Amino acid sequence: MAEVDFERALERMFADAPAFPDSEAFAARIERRLDRGWMVRRAAIGGAGLVGGVIGASQLILSRFVDRIETASTGSAKIITAGWNEVAPAADLLASTPVGSPVVWLAMAMALLALGFVVTRLIDEF
Amino acid sequence: MAGAHRETLTSLHDVELATKAATGERKAFGELVRRHGSAVRGLLRRMGAGGAEADDVAQDAFLAAFERIAEFRGEGTFAAWVKRIAARAYLRKLQKERRLQNLPADSELPAGPGHEGEAAGRIDLDEALKTLGAAERLCVSMCYGAGLSHAEAAEALNLPLGTVKSHVKRGLDKLRTRLAPAEGVDPEGRRRNG
Repeated sequence: MAEVDFERALERMFADAPAFPDSEAFAARIERRLDRGWMVRRAAIGGAGLVGGVIGASQLILSRFVDRIETASTGSAKIITAGWNEVAPAADLLASTPVGSPVVWLAMAMALLALGFVVTRLIDEF
Repeated sequence: MAGAHRETLTSLHDVELATKAATGERKAFGELVRRHGSAVRGLLRRMGAGGAEADDVAQDAFLAAFERIAEFRGEGTFAAWVKRIAARAYLRKLQKERRLQNLPADSELPAGPGHEGEAAGRIDLDEALKTLGAAERLCVSMCYGAGLSHAEAAEALNLPLGTVKSHVKRGLDKLRTRLAPAEGVDPEGRRRNG
């Protein structure tokens, strides 16, 4: 029993942490390192996303993905295009671009998605 | 604005801060470091690390704890959890630098002047630990400071369980003698009155 008493007393002494005068500076140093690591990680993820996006977009264009989709669903595309032309004549401008309007719409959708992520991240941060 | 946020954090419990830190909130983790940084730095010094080395290991341990913060579920205290991470990190460092194999079992530090007459006066834990051999000090600190079991300490130190138990027993005997006046426990283990 006395042995246990001594062990408990020893645990209490170990738990009694000494005070360090630079404890605030120590914590600040760790926060700085965390912030730096976070920035590097974010830059790496952003960079990887950009590279992946560029590769993905180029693959889409090179594989004539849009042409194949159009061939597979000509009817639907015609209906959508006709409907769109009625409500927004300005869409002709998009259709006249070299890559075709579906690619532009796809890019816009991806840009909106990316913007959504950025806004969410900013809300989290501040 | 930042001050108000900091004030909010200081009022939160460790588990709540850890939950926030798990979502990437570094300020919440910073508050945990403010609360428990001294305990971790103190433990590493008690294990035998020098001042700068202890602080480096403590920093790395806190960064590792941040990476693994989702594993902390509040079963024990945050301080105990991070101390275990720090103790293991220090042992890994000793192993990497091949310092663990050369730990002398007996005390490297001779008793300083005045130690003989200390039975009547108070001697604190840090001073008492200095009278232990490096291996005894490590084992005792790991078991009573970091909360590891003998088996866990043996595994972390890569030593047979019996060896760790011997180190702990010898260390405790020495500490009991040294700390007797301070803790009200005499060398034979009997509680003193008052």
